[in-house]
Amino acid sequence: MVDIRIAEIGTFVIYVIDVVLLLALVGIKTVHRRRVHSHDRRRQEYLGMLSRHVSYADCTDPITPRMAEDPAFLDALIDVREVLSGHELGNLEEIVARHGVSARLTRYLASRLPLGRRLRAAVALAEIGDKSAAPAMVLHLSDREPDVRIECARGLARLRWTPAIDDIVARFAIEDTTVRARFADSLIGFGTSATWPLLAYVRVNHRSEDAGPALALRTVGRIRELAAAGAIHEVLAESPSLEVTIAAIEALGDIASPESTRRLQSLLADERWQVRAKSATALGKLEDGSSIPILSEAIRDANFWVRRNSAAALARLPDGKLALYRALDGDDVYAADAAAEALADSGELVAARRRVDEGISVVEPLLAHMESGD
Amino acid sequence: MPKILVADDSETIRTLLRTALGRAGYEVDTASDGPTAHSMAKEGDFDLIILDQLMPGLLGLDVISQLREDGVAAPVLMLTGVDDGTTAAESLDRGAVDYIRKPFDMNELLARIKSRL
Repeated sequence: MVDIRIAEIGTFVIYVIDVVLLLALVGIKTVHRRRVHSHDRRRQEYLGMLSRHVSYADCTDPITPRMAEDPAFLDALIDVREVLSGHELGNLEEIVARHGVSARLTRYLASRLPLGRRLRAAVALAEIGDKSAAPAMVLHLSDREPDVRIECARGLARLRWTPAIDDIVARFAIEDTTVRARFADSLIGFGTSATWPLLAYVRVNHRSEDAGPALALRTVGRIRELAAAGAIHEVLAESPSLEVTIAAIEALGDIASPESTRRLQSLLADERWQVRAKSATALGKLEDGSSIPILSEAIRDANFWVRRNSAAALARLPDGKLALYRALDGDDVYAADAAAEALADSGELVAARRRVDEGISVVEPLLAHMESGD
Repeated sequence: MPKILVADDSETIRTLLRTALGRAGYEVDTASDGPTAHSMAKEGDFDLIILDQLMPGLLGLDVISQLREDGVAAPVLMLTGVDDGTTAAESLDRGAVDYIRKPFDMNELLARIKSRL
């Protein structure tokens, strides 16, 4: 009897706890929904006010210090900034400066507030694009939180604050892979101003580490400054690291400087298959017809990836497809496979297959076609 | 007072243009999606229509085509973040009179509107 009563009381207590938890959940959801709704409403009001400030030079709508601290105001400010260019942007910058928005955000950044609040300040600083905040963002490139560091680098790139490039590059050596990759994206935002600091970093570090210099080289490749090719050739000649060598070859392919053609062609004879395969791809990007004979040899390489990349490179070159059709006709079945795949990727497999199935020599009609110039 | 329809799913653009065009002496109506833009443009007797390309319900390009089929001859100005030559060329093909990319300079936009009215 006593046991039954205890069981009933236990069930009742569990029931009460369930109800309390459910009510708490509903309460939290209601509060959250109200907060979101209130944020949206305030943001809408701020949008209207900022629109008036942008459109009317003599607008007297007051922007109070309290408004300038409101996240909804910052959201509205960032939204307006995203869609405008020209002198209205100057009006916005004046509003930001007049109301000390950046100074306030900078204070948040330096505070002991929770990460969410500090990160929001960092994102807002990155988006607002106020040059007066640049020194603070440089300082927070070494913030304790990786996300804050990433946002500061992004903001500095948006501002094209070139004095920060060396600081961002210097972090390459100590950041983890994720942060370093995001820093690399930011450096691309600086354009060619980042090329030489990155190459200097590579020159100093490529003998002692792999990942940082490799990412720096790939970043240089994505910036695509032709003049960088010579410096990358030097790294290629000196680096003992396979990872750095591969990154250098990829960079040369992206930069596509004509002066890299011979260097990359010579790398098709490298004993490392990874180097041969990457060089073939890079040669395809250079689109220099003088690479056709050596790539035609490379589609007979012992390594699958070298054959495949060489065939893909030939498909990109003017007149390179002729070499692929020759390989289809040839007695090397591995080369023929690579050629067929590359031709298929460039939309020509049907033609190639039909010619082979019909027993027609592929090369002769194609040569005749090319010579006729039709 | 010339009447302009601004069709864009971005509240920021609608608010900005309503204010700036109002300030420049135009009467402004707004739509936030393609179908609403189409029905308002068809019935509203607007002197100019400013259209975004990527709107819910109906793309800006399709709104232009439908308006031309419906016999609406109001000039259409595309204001869009789509940054490719194909969309620009196609919108002009379908009857838009101008094409401006976001982010945009308000003074330039006002000058282009003025030249069409």
